[in-house]
Amino acid sequence: MTTIRGRGRTLEIAVDRALPTATAEIRAQLEERPAFFRGSRAVVNLGLVEADLASLVALRLVLSEFGITVDGVSGVAALAPLLAELDVPYLGATSVEEVAVIPRPRVKRNVSLSDGARSLVADFAGARADLAARRTEREAAALERRNPKNGAPVAPPAPAAPVASAGVTIPDTPQSAPAGISTLYHRGTLRGGQTLHNLGNIVVIGDVNPGAELIASGDILVFGSLRGVAHAGAQGDLSARVVALELAPTQLRIATMIAASDDALDPGPQHAYILGDRIAIVPHAAADLGRREVPV
Amino acid sequence: MSARRIVLTSGKGGVGKTTTTANLGAALAKRGKRVVLVDADIGLRNLDLVLGLEKRIVFDLVEVVEGRCQLRQALIKDKRFQSLSVLPAAQTRDKASVSEQQFAEVVNGLDELADYVLIDCPAGIEHGFRNAVAGAAEAIVVTTPEVSSIRDADRVIGKLNERDMPIRLIINRIRPEMVRTGDMMSVEDVVDILNVKLVGLIPDDEEVIDTTNRGEPIVLVPDSRLGEIYEKIARRLNGENVAFTTLSAPGIFSRLFGQRKAG
Amino acid sequence: MHELQEDPAPGEETVKRPRGRAIVITSGKGGVGKTTMTANIGTALAQGGAKVALVDADVGLRNLDIVLGLEARVRSHVLDVLEGRVTLDDALVTDKRVPTLRLLAAAQTREKDEVDTTAMHALIDTLREQFDYVLIDCPAGIEKGFTNAIVGADEAIIVCTPEVAAVRDADRVVGLLGNRESIKLIVNRLRPELVRRGKMLSVEDVNAILRLPLLGVIADEPGVIISTNKGEPLALDVGSTAGAAYRAIAGRIAGTNTSKPLIPQPATFLQKLGSFFGGRR
Repeated sequence: MTTIRGRGRTLEIAVDRALPTATAEIRAQLEERPAFFRGSRAVVNLGLVEADLASLVALRLVLSEFGITVDGVSGVAALAPLLAELDVPYLGATSVEEVAVIPRPRVKRNVSLSDGARSLVADFAGARADLAARRTEREAAALERRNPKNGAPVAPPAPAAPVASAGVTIPDTPQSAPAGISTLYHRGTLRGGQTLHNLGNIVVIGDVNPGAELIASGDILVFGSLRGVAHAGAQGDLSARVVALELAPTQLRIATMIAASDDALDPGPQHAYILGDRIAIVPHAAADLGRREVPV
Repeated sequence: MSARRIVLTSGKGGVGKTTTTANLGAALAKRGKRVVLVDADIGLRNLDLVLGLEKRIVFDLVEVVEGRCQLRQALIKDKRFQSLSVLPAAQTRDKASVSEQQFAEVVNGLDELADYVLIDCPAGIEHGFRNAVAGAAEAIVVTTPEVSSIRDADRVIGKLNERDMPIRLIINRIRPEMVRTGDMMSVEDVVDILNVKLVGLIPDDEEVIDTTNRGEPIVLVPDSRLGEIYEKIARRLNGENVAFTTLSAPGIFSRLFGQRKAG
Repeated sequence: MHELQEDPAPGEETVKRPRGRAIVITSGKGGVGKTTMTANIGTALAQGGAKVALVDADVGLRNLDIVLGLEARVRSHVLDVLEGRVTLDDALVTDKRVPTLRLLAAAQTREKDEVDTTAMHALIDTLREQFDYVLIDCPAGIEKGFTNAIVGADEAIIVCTPEVAAVRDADRVVGLLGNRESIKLIVNRLRPELVRRGKMLSVEDVNAILRLPLLGVIADEPGVIISTNKGEPLALDVGSTAGAAYRAIAGRIAGTNTSKPLIPQPATFLQKLGSFFGGRR
């Protein structure tokens, strides 16, 4: 059974059968939720499976069709020259964790998932037709699968031509993102009941009070106190993050993970991003500032 | 077996509807009833806050009405109790988002899941009030022994009477010492004016402020006087005949009957 | 701010008065003391000589008249005026204790939906021609009643108690008020002893979220309930602490008081002893 799992900020695709068969399985899984992994990076672990150049190419094509970039492949030594031809790093026979693609930051405080946390894929192109895809598993670790009741695929996000469709429900908003840039910049405090949505990133200079909501397909940055709800990577980008001068949210959501913390969080600027199977809160000084690909 | 659907309302804001809904619900749950609390105050939601559940809200009542999630998905289970759940209101919307009929349908959807559905009504008698009442078959009016509250409660009772629903009364924030000095109406005065069956008398207690700020139901605080009182109200609601306890004002000999009753 | 009319031409007798200020007193959460605040601030401003009109915007649940002790003298209300049955002058109730104060009561047996927002705005504008201050008592909530109450007002005063729910609701209201000339905060019902024991939010906690200029802080005292029940605003009571606070707030609004608001502190032991043995309530 081919599995797709999140490990750190990468996907690990583990293959245990002939690659063409596995590739078909991977395609089938990805088709259930086409936008989900867009923007993600993956490492493919072929274990002891042998593969030829054609099947490697086919696999990479399928993955890139769904917006997944291959960072490396691990498996038997015979793969090395084939991968070199494809310009894909051969990771040897090691597993992802030891590859240390991303140095592990010092995590001061893990934010544990609230029980009953559900996966959430926000589709703010309007339809929330992906409702069926919401899971009710405890470890909302993004990648366990279930048959969606409603098989309708989520509409893929707009392509790279930037769509600054900022849905702002605030009267008298002083600055909104001008067309052509996929970051919504807002100066001023967001009050309870106000929301900012953007296909792209969101930057707020000011506080986000409890009862206010930020939803972005990209990152969320708050130069102030974030006390409301922030949902970054709302279309499934697991590498999205939330950064705030004071991170004290009612609830944090990144891609399909939801977290709430009962502990008082540390003072000072913090980053929140997915690490392993949970959302970690890391002080700025220790945070990994890893690059992300094209914003969604 | 269908659920009992009770709206807690008052007209006047700030008399303790939300705190009472939360604690009465908790008391009923403690007695083994399956309880669902519904926050009808769209845009100014507080029921989740008072129970300390605000961080666990994923879906809300408006999303249920709009079909964007299922009712069960929106319910937040309070893990401190066997069977107590909350259906939160939306914060970023307003009351016009939901019609009376839609609200009633949502509450009806809870029929199988609960023995008691308690609906926390917003202040006032506008659209939010009408929604909340549309979902209920019975009402509890909450008032304080102050002229403004009683006047508003009276107005609300008038409106509830139009809908022909059984009404009970809870008098909240009673200060026995002020009643004694004649600076606050007595229970008898209030019941006389409003003419509705009494189901609870709750004294003013500063503990309430702290526990609601911290999101802890007072029925979970051991040896809490107020906690016991909510439990008594729950029992009365259940049909038991429970006497009202007498409270004495600090430092004064208690009278036999009248002003300092509570429970 | 006052909009000055044109200077009179030489020979003209009448000088047009500057337009009065319209201030809405609002909160979101019910029961935090808006009506009491409106009554007392209005009384205090009027006692200082200003012409003050108080408007009760809580149609259907009117209470401003009770708190002022004027309920027996109310003959007509806002809707009577808006629907043309009565002139504004006839509807305004005089307070014998405070000659420059007038009350425009709300209708009790009508609904807030029945008030037309534009008409309400025009009414407030008319009042501003005649009065130095028009204070509007806003109902709880954020529905039509709220919309009607804020429509004519350039300025707002948020009344908030030191409780999480009240702060949340107040924040929502601040967001809905949008851009106004001024939005200021009064923290009401503070219990300094509870704050000291960590059992109540402090003024700082409240304003960490609301971030508004502070107009005043009123400590909780039984005297306030008593006064509202009796219809005798504490602003008239020279010996009352709350009364003094209301007067100080009025002074800040009028610009005659430039002192910063005092935050009430826990009573010292001696003070408590004194009040136990029959000092002032």
